[in-house]
Amino acid sequence: MARVYNWQLGREMSFWYPEARPQRQFAAVFDVNKCIACQTCTLACKTTWTSGKGQEYMLWNNVETKPYGSYPLAYDLRLLDMLDAQEWNGGRYEGRTIFEAAPAGERVLGWRPEDQDYAFPNTGEDDCAGQVDRGSFMSLPHAGWFFYLARICNHCTYPACLAACPRGSIYRRAEDGIVLVDQARCRGYQECVKACPYKKVFFNPLTGTSEKCIACFPKIEQGMQPQCFANCIGKIRLAGWLSRPEQARADNPIDYLVHIRKIALPLFPQFGLEPNVYYIPPVHSPEAFNRQLFGPGAGEAVRAYRSAPGDPDLAGLLCLFGCTEMMVTRFRRRGDTVTGLAADGAEVVRVPMSEPVYVRPAFDSKQGLWRRNCP
Amino acid sequence: MKRTILLCLLCMAACSRAPRTANEVIAIPVRGLPVSPADPAWEDAPELAAAMIPQDLVEPRLLEPSTLSVRVRAASDGAAMALRLEWDDPNKDDVPGPSRMVDACAVQIPVKIEPDLPDPQMGREGKPVQVTYWRADWQATVDGRGDTLRDLYPNASIDHYPFEARPLEPGSEVQREMALRYAPAHRLGNLRSGPRDVPVEELVASGPGTLAPSPSPDARGKGVFGKSGWSVVISRKLPAGLEPDRRTYVAFAVWQGSRQEVGARKMRTGWIPLLRRAR
Repeated sequence: MARVYNWQLGREMSFWYPEARPQRQFAAVFDVNKCIACQTCTLACKTTWTSGKGQEYMLWNNVETKPYGSYPLAYDLRLLDMLDAQEWNGGRYEGRTIFEAAPAGERVLGWRPEDQDYAFPNTGEDDCAGQVDRGSFMSLPHAGWFFYLARICNHCTYPACLAACPRGSIYRRAEDGIVLVDQARCRGYQECVKACPYKKVFFNPLTGTSEKCIACFPKIEQGMQPQCFANCIGKIRLAGWLSRPEQARADNPIDYLVHIRKIALPLFPQFGLEPNVYYIPPVHSPEAFNRQLFGPGAGEAVRAYRSAPGDPDLAGLLCLFGCTEMMVTRFRRRGDTVTGLAADGAEVVRVPMSEPVYVRPAFDSKQGLWRRNCP
Repeated sequence: MKRTILLCLLCMAACSRAPRTANEVIAIPVRGLPVSPADPAWEDAPELAAAMIPQDLVEPRLLEPSTLSVRVRAASDGAAMALRLEWDDPNKDDVPGPSRMVDACAVQIPVKIEPDLPDPQMGREGKPVQVTYWRADWQATVDGRGDTLRDLYPNASIDHYPFEARPLEPGSEVQREMALRYAPAHRLGNLRSGPRDVPVEELVASGPGTLAPSPSPDARGKGVFGKSGWSVVISRKLPAGLEPDRRTYVAFAVWQGSRQEVGARKMRTGWIPLLRRAR
């Protein structure tokens, strides 16, 4: 085991291989508050990549309802249970990661789902936490809550799948940090399936190999966002490049949200993988639940997000989500307009932060008629 | 006279029930290589009961022993060699899937016959080993099981594959090409699953994690699951330089799928002398 630095934990940790950062790191921000679980992302991915034989059950992208939804079944609860209670001390994680908690003979603490665990991807859908008593809808905020969690491979800096593969069949691309299973080398041992805490590697019984999200790298190489980003009708997603914390740039959208404003947080940072998909936590779920999913910064992130209406730069950047299929690597706001730029400074997209409002009087004096909302 | 005949018959029956045992693997000379585990030619080959130990040198390790021994017989026709491996296994595991591992066994031989042996665990750099690997799901495929999801999950419901939709003609080149887009491993020639002619694979390795295909037209195999477990014949060409009455070494590995044994999680032997007997 090597010692590597995991900035999400605020400390060094043990990992199977030495630290090796890519030239630039693919990363994404998902705004949980905007997701409506329409599953358009899921279908965009499914039709693009996993319509083959043996891939029937695979959802490289899925959207689950929290707190009760999960795909595969209880993927998160089972590992949290195995890892047991762990401690954060401020921004520093004092507990054990899944690498540090690996039992004898194993590289990673993990478990492997059975086929039935994949059979209920809609479990818990739209089920809210708490009791919906008679009349409870009359009071605000509602006691019941749920939210939708869209998930893809996190293209982790310290991937457990990569660490667990005894053949070295999984690699991170040096140019963009995208994690791939080498389909020529994989022998289908399913060690990666067991190790990935997010369960985003899938065994294909009809090719005999394990397969996973490839971040639509052919599109990334063309400067475009992946399919699940471009097809998201809720405009919850933004793909880009993430700098190391000490090199964060205020005009880099991902850096701004993750490092500078700290409103976008990793999913289960305590597992120790330094995942590169970041979530703006839901504003209406209990902070304790958010902290378990997104780490100790969840409360502050929600407060910062709620301040967006009075924060033009943050509000402007949030308006850039889902406005173009192209990757936006820089942004700037001038007045009421936010502009997304390519790496060379060329304008990619320009978005007004507020749309014009037209007020039609209830009485049409020209026609001498009262306007009605319905015919 | 009657008593003498009876005694002789009893002796013969006893001989066939209790095979001669050996402390090494002895490949007896045969004219035609036995290809089936039930071939009578195996009756003449001495049997070695080789003790197995868990692979516990590299992660992921196997910590709980499962298959404690493998019974081995061998024969050679002068060009090729066949080995019959038998082990006790209460479950036939030949359907792959998520967390469904399959039964398997393998034979390992040093690439070169020399006093300084490769590591018994997959060899090492500069000291490669040859491996012939048999798998139960490949055997099922060779025995006629189809290559669809319903062959693995009979009650599966599949509504649509884009490459099987009109206007693509069934079986056409265009259709096959499109299907390969969704099967990258097959596109790259990594045939871990799918149609195949033989249930075995030839490989080379120079240490743990380095196993690589080394296709050979000589590799054959046949596995049959019986009352107590598997009986598998693996045949391959004779190790280079293995002249009559000379020795090389051989090692074996066995995986029980129902115990989640796969890859490095296996039961294995150390090096065992392998004698090619002249007569």
